[in-house]
Amino acid sequence: MATFKKGPAIGIALAFAVTAGLLTWQHGGRAQQASDCKVHIGDLNWDSANFHDQVATFILKHGYGCDVTLTYGGTLPIMAAHYEQKNDLIMELWYDNIKDQYDKAEADGMVKRLTANTPDSTQGWYVPRYVQEANPGLKSVADLPRYKKLFTDPEEPSKGRFVNCIPGWACETINTVKLRAYGLDEHFTNFRPGSGGALKAAIKGAYLKRQPVLAYYWTPTPLLGELDLVKLEEPAWNQEDWATLMDSVAELKSGGEAAIADASVATAYRTTTLPKSVSTTFASQQPAIIDFLNKYTLPAETVSTALVYLQEEASGSAEDAAIHFLKTNDVWKEWVPATIEGKVEAALAKS
Amino acid sequence: MAMELLRDLLPGWAVEWPKALNAPLNSWTNNFVTWLITEHGSTFEAVSNRILAVLLFIEQTLRGVPWLVMFLAITALAWFTSGRRLGLTILVSASLFCIGLVDPKLWDDAMVTLSVMLVATILCIVIGIPVGLLISAQDRLRSLVIPLLDLMQTMPSFVYLIPAIMLFGLGSVPAILATVIYAIPPVIRLTDLGIRLVDEDLSEACDAMGASHLQKLLSLQVPTALPNILQGINQTTMMALSMVVIASMIGTRGLGSEVLLGLQQLNVGRALEAGIAIVLLAIVMDRITQAYGRRLLRAQRRR
Repeated sequence: MATFKKGPAIGIALAFAVTAGLLTWQHGGRAQQASDCKVHIGDLNWDSANFHDQVATFILKHGYGCDVTLTYGGTLPIMAAHYEQKNDLIMELWYDNIKDQYDKAEADGMVKRLTANTPDSTQGWYVPRYVQEANPGLKSVADLPRYKKLFTDPEEPSKGRFVNCIPGWACETINTVKLRAYGLDEHFTNFRPGSGGALKAAIKGAYLKRQPVLAYYWTPTPLLGELDLVKLEEPAWNQEDWATLMDSVAELKSGGEAAIADASVATAYRTTTLPKSVSTTFASQQPAIIDFLNKYTLPAETVSTALVYLQEEASGSAEDAAIHFLKTNDVWKEWVPATIEGKVEAALAKS
Repeated sequence: MAMELLRDLLPGWAVEWPKALNAPLNSWTNNFVTWLITEHGSTFEAVSNRILAVLLFIEQTLRGVPWLVMFLAITALAWFTSGRRLGLTILVSASLFCIGLVDPKLWDDAMVTLSVMLVATILCIVIGIPVGLLISAQDRLRSLVIPLLDLMQTMPSFVYLIPAIMLFGLGSVPAILATVIYAIPPVIRLTDLGIRLVDEDLSEACDAMGASHLQKLLSLQVPTALPNILQGINQTTMMALSMVVIASMIGTRGLGSEVLLGLQQLNVGRALEAGIAIVLLAIVMDRITQAYGRRLLRAQRRR
């Protein structure tokens, strides 16, 4: 038996040795570049976050000579890791939506917020403009029951369909509470699209066919840059009602939909600034990088333009979109010292 | 070092892929899909509505039936298809019982998943068996269809799921179609194989007695190939079930969406419960379809 196996065993061992040799060989050339600056970025699963992550990656890698790792995932796993300092940097933090957990981690001294990367971001419930033009009475969420026939859910024809946001995102639970609080749950199905691609495809598919669609969406996004959607009015944002809404969200998470049966207070999302977040350990080790990150800020409009490029020209590659952005804009030069700027310029010329 | 030497030695176009050698498949596809939606959206919707009607009928029936009646009906089905084998029937009914036992809510989800799966499997059988029969008779067609089947099984399903959403709307219908694409190959392959394995002598005897093509097909080939065809249906059912989690990513309700929600809320327990329910449902479906095939095979050998 043993002699029988020797042939292949030697072969496999050789193959491993050769592969390992090749791998280390290639690495040898790069080893000199390795530095003590290591950045682990939590890459979240939507376009604008991917874009910011790639811009930051490029500057950190080529300007500061850092070793940058990106881990891609949904809000919950990535943020859970961030609270434990398992990753160092979140470039786009939707603070309002995850306030409770974040405040706790911040109070524990694990993470801290930096300045906004986008100062003027919005989220809400949208319908295409042609729907509102054909139905001028449809202005706010309170009008929705009268228009539910427009949005008929083919799988549950007695109700309209509200396309919620992606399961696992905070907005999904917030919208579920809103649906209950506005008394819309008896008229509309709470349809969870399952993934970001599916949500986008549902809106765009309906739009191309000029059909009505009612869905949650947000800016800055390429979709809202591309399609003409209008946001439905909701009760104006105020601190007290929002806090009540977030309490209901907590009840929903622990007790399921039965727990929010008597929820009745909800308000619009407010226009928010989206800050960055870093682990406190990283912040104390890398003051120069924190300085750069604190200067980093872009208006929603600039981000939307970059995202349209990401989708239309860069075939969805956030990295290409980031490089294009850095090449065609000068704003980032104000974020870094002149020496770093030179290094980034040199790297840009090569890519 | 050697790598750099090689890079320096070769001309530029041999090192980096030349830009000129780039077929813009990306933009062609996007334009084609947009054209399809704007020009033929309503046609796709008509197809979608018909599939949806069948699905809703099955779903409402399965969910409407009291669980005990459903439980007894499936147990009886296992008993009779397996040729009254006690052990197998107990396994099936115990698995079924455990779905509700894990979490009563999962029973309802399992029925939703089952109905999506049934519609997909029925579509696979209705399309797959005739295609299988056709390619078993035509070698040239077969050499075209087989690579196509390979493509259907290897193409990642999200590639056609997203355009399917734009065409058919969000929900179960694009999921059913994606499931059909992924799960239909086994039934086609095994129908083809089953027919090809029919004894040449018997086939010749049939011809000698002056049987027509159709007579030969129905009285000799299909009955002899039936165990293989049923094996194909069994494989198709299993593959359809394996698509439920992917289907939930485009908004299909049922066990898959429970797994997805559990994972995305970091609720491992919830995901595991639903995962177990999927496995149990798979055991039930697998044993029932397989038992029927085995019984047929035994009956054939006795003859």
